[in-house]
Amino acid sequence: MRKELKEYPFDWMIWRTFVAAARMKAGSEKEYSQAVKQLPYFRGILDTIYGIGEPGQLFIEMVAEYFEKIIFARKRGQKTAITTFCFSPAVFYALDIVPITLELVTVAMGATYKRGTADFLDYCNEVGFTETSCSSQRGTLGAYLAGNGVTIDMVVCDSPGVCDTNVNAFAFASAYLDKPFFQLNMPPDLTGARSTEYHRADYRALIAFLEEQIGRKLDTEKLREILTEVRKQDILMAELEELQILVPNPLPVTFNLLIYAGRFLFAGMPQCTRLLESLLKIGRENARQNQSGLSSGKERLRGFFCYIDHYGQDLRLWHLLDQMEISYHGNILSKMWSQDAYYAKALDRLEDAYNIDTTDLDTLIDSIADLNSRMPMIKSIRGPYDAPHMWLQDTLALAKLHRADFIVYNGTPGCRNTWGMVKPFARDTEKNGFPTLILYSDAFDMRVESWETTASRIEEFLKVRRLRP
Amino acid sequence: MIDAFHESSTTLFNRHVRNWKTDGGKVVGYTCSYVPDEIFHAASILPYRLRGVGAREMNIADAYFGPFICSLPKCLLQLAGEGKYHFLDGAVVTPGCDSMRRLDDCWRKAGEDRAEALPSFFFHYAVPHKTADYSLKWFIEETRRLQAAVEKHFNVTITDYQLYDSIGIYNEGRLLLSRLDALRCAPDVAISGADALAVVLASTTIPRKSFNSLLMDLIAQIEAGSDRISGRKRLMLVGSANDDVELVRLIEGDEAVVVADNLCFGARFYADLVEQDGDPVAALAKRYLYHNDCPRMFGDYKGRLSILKEKIERAAVDGVILQNIRFCDLHGSENGIFERDLEAAGIPCMRIEREYGPLVETGRIRMRIDAFLERLEK
Amino acid sequence: MITAGCDVGSLTSKAVIMRDNRIVAQEVIRSRTKPAESAVAVMNMALQKAQMTLTDIVFCVGTGYGRDKIPFISEAVSEISCHARGARWLLPTVKTVIDIGGQDCKAMRIDKDGKILKFITNDKCASGTGRFLEVMARIINVSLDDLGGLSARATAPIALANACTVWAQADVIQHLNDGISAEDIGAGINNAMASRMAVLANNIGLERDLCMTGGVAKNAGVVSALEKLLGMSIKRIKKVDPQLVGAVGAALIAGDKVERRTAS
Repeated sequence: MRKELKEYPFDWMIWRTFVAAARMKAGSEKEYSQAVKQLPYFRGILDTIYGIGEPGQLFIEMVAEYFEKIIFARKRGQKTAITTFCFSPAVFYALDIVPITLELVTVAMGATYKRGTADFLDYCNEVGFTETSCSSQRGTLGAYLAGNGVTIDMVVCDSPGVCDTNVNAFAFASAYLDKPFFQLNMPPDLTGARSTEYHRADYRALIAFLEEQIGRKLDTEKLREILTEVRKQDILMAELEELQILVPNPLPVTFNLLIYAGRFLFAGMPQCTRLLESLLKIGRENARQNQSGLSSGKERLRGFFCYIDHYGQDLRLWHLLDQMEISYHGNILSKMWSQDAYYAKALDRLEDAYNIDTTDLDTLIDSIADLNSRMPMIKSIRGPYDAPHMWLQDTLALAKLHRADFIVYNGTPGCRNTWGMVKPFARDTEKNGFPTLILYSDAFDMRVESWETTASRIEEFLKVRRLRP
Repeated sequence: MIDAFHESSTTLFNRHVRNWKTDGGKVVGYTCSYVPDEIFHAASILPYRLRGVGAREMNIADAYFGPFICSLPKCLLQLAGEGKYHFLDGAVVTPGCDSMRRLDDCWRKAGEDRAEALPSFFFHYAVPHKTADYSLKWFIEETRRLQAAVEKHFNVTITDYQLYDSIGIYNEGRLLLSRLDALRCAPDVAISGADALAVVLASTTIPRKSFNSLLMDLIAQIEAGSDRISGRKRLMLVGSANDDVELVRLIEGDEAVVVADNLCFGARFYADLVEQDGDPVAALAKRYLYHNDCPRMFGDYKGRLSILKEKIERAAVDGVILQNIRFCDLHGSENGIFERDLEAAGIPCMRIEREYGPLVETGRIRMRIDAFLERLEK
Repeated sequence: MITAGCDVGSLTSKAVIMRDNRIVAQEVIRSRTKPAESAVAVMNMALQKAQMTLTDIVFCVGTGYGRDKIPFISEAVSEISCHARGARWLLPTVKTVIDIGGQDCKAMRIDKDGKILKFITNDKCASGTGRFLEVMARIINVSLDDLGGLSARATAPIALANACTVWAQADVIQHLNDGISAEDIGAGINNAMASRMAVLANNIGLERDLCMTGGVAKNAGVVSALEKLLGMSIKRIKKVDPQLVGAVGAALIAGDKVERRTAS
């Protein structure tokens, strides 16, 4: 790794960047346009996010606050845990542990650094972590392995049984940094007494582990408060996502990103609730006016991303969709499968979903265990892709519900669990009438395939499949 | 004598399997060392560890698997698609790793396109990734589920008595393999790494009773004989699954001998016995879940490092080759930390990333081995 | 004492003849399909230049991919050891050597005698090798020799896949179609190569001094990008063509072997 990268802690730099960004709109528009010139690589994103109004401001502030919590955790006597996007942070907030979600930090770094996470990706390889591993964790992991960020106290993940390359990043971090490790291990079946019992026993072991790390017991009231807030967020998300079904879809293309990012950052915390409420205000207003959320106001196509998005600099994926007048219909990341979710009800799939019961400590723990076992990817990529409750069933049901015109698979070359079956998966979605594009790019590493090439592949696909002139 | 083992290790449908089938026996293949052979043996079914040897192309496999996948399950699917596994009556797939786990999906889909590719019994055996009381409970239940599925499909009953008997026979095999291991890591090496691998590979296809008797004869012959290998660099082979005798031969060349390993087609496969009292299914579950040291059991790096160190000392290893198949991130990454920690302990290591099957590049590997041996010469 | 080294690589074959540790002849040719033919041809040329015959050579070490096929050698040694020995002899302060050959690249840490302490090579694919540069240069229609100079004239180098040659090709074509200049693409290619190499080099733990061997050492764009990435200057080998270091090392090892034999 280049020496100069070690000069300043990377997480501190991201924090300061977002703090500066959060203040940009405090003055006049002229001041904003002058100030934003100082953030050349971040400008495209700021313009887009601030372009949506109040929720944009809230979102930037949220990200700044997330990093602030990381930076000052130790000073405040809190422990830090590196964890993964598909692990609900609610339990950390309940125990006053500061979560550092590698994938979220990777996206934040990709958005603010000129070279994205390239140097840290490579640093991982320099210390023996395979280059074929997933770039979503590797980007940030490299910085922590290099000792270029805050001190990590523990490593917690829930991807064993779901995604090897994900958990392998955490197992590697634990071994390399010699930090305590805990894994929630998912059985291949989502439902049924055996799986439920396993999820819950495993989650109780997690709580025991976390309690041991911090030397304190879980506070029932705190957990109740957090899960009550999660429920509130579920209801807000349900309405937001239900609005997406409308024709035209009243949500701007970036809303989906903000919904899931908000939830990954602050599940069960009021910051996330405020963001969702703010997004909903705009969504409702657009819906009332039967107005598309796209910039042009015209919706030509409806796109469903069956896996994750492409986080190339400046939110270029969302720009492309907006420019091509394609409304965005979500991806795997925003589907939390709460029993409040419109799709769980509309598809009559309440069995797939979790319920929050705040009666007592046992019901609270059972609820959060069920919630965690339904997290994106954890729910639907654990078993064979065509098994009940799994990826194909979810994708087809959601794509139909949203009246999607096409499906896009985008991930990372490190994603062994989907690359292992995405070809037959896409064959099945095609058989069901959805033109399906498999992208070979890397959502987090532009060096694998440039965004220009990826964009041209999307355009070519739409043209060849006669979806767009 | 060793030729008999080599024949069984390089031919999928070898003499023993042919005879078994001719006698009307059933064969069930499986993909991972976490599957208890004893369940099948107790049902008078031949358990057969699936491999990808002999795959020359990838055209069938590439139709189902994506490009960023380990070549071992790809080769295996290719062979199944080509009908080379025609003798299978069943197959068990485990979530050994993600590439192998997706063999379940891809093989079933290939079976939709080519009916002959998929055996009639097909079972996903969910092996947990951790050792806790509740994961052992899960695994005991899962093993009972496998047992019940075998009983139903093959119309057999597996009694506890039969399981005890099978456990005894397999434990005997494990003890014999451990005796061979001792001959291999002795100061005067009595068997080459390539030959030792052939024996382990043969053990995954030959009916176990016959195998035990063959191995007993081999050990007797070796012990009685005076052929010993000396003056060569003593290497240990660690990492991804390797069922390629030629790879070990390439590594050994004229100047080295592989005296130890920690591979799943190797020491991991026969280390530790199954307890022979109490509930036999629980005993099987315990042995297979707890005593099978693969990085798929996340978070136990230190345990695996100490196993390596103990073996390195016992076998007086000069250098360790840490290899992984490309896209095998579990072994590949763990190899990275092994290298750091073993080198710090003064044990020279070399990491190799390779392909499996037809893609193996012998020239490049040979060059690295030569350089590594030159390094050890100092 | 006359010794020789013959390095048969995938792209080029090299021969060096030394008398009492002094180079008396050196040759480089494009490799032919059969390693034995390449070796005989290049050695004959070197012998001719030195006005010697094969029988004059006391000991000849063969190296490179084709080393086992060379008919006239006394012994074969890996190119890793040969490059290490050659580099240390040419630059006595060197402790780390980076070699980029036609189809692989290597980094090695060496002791004062040029013996290997730790080494690493790239894996299967062609990225980070001379072949990668050759393929890319062809696509942007510049000669391999001119590719290195493009970096100095670039204004906004492209970011390029450094993990896969096939991927990178698609990107380069896309950039060409988008009208990006050859300088910016060429610089992107050189940077990608350097970045790939930096990961390998950092992997073994760098120690000063550092030098580069192999044909790519002549590519100024790659060398300067690598210096930036590693934060360390790269010593230039001036006595011989950097491509010849392996053959020089082979000839030196030949001398070592004769000495050892004589001593015992």
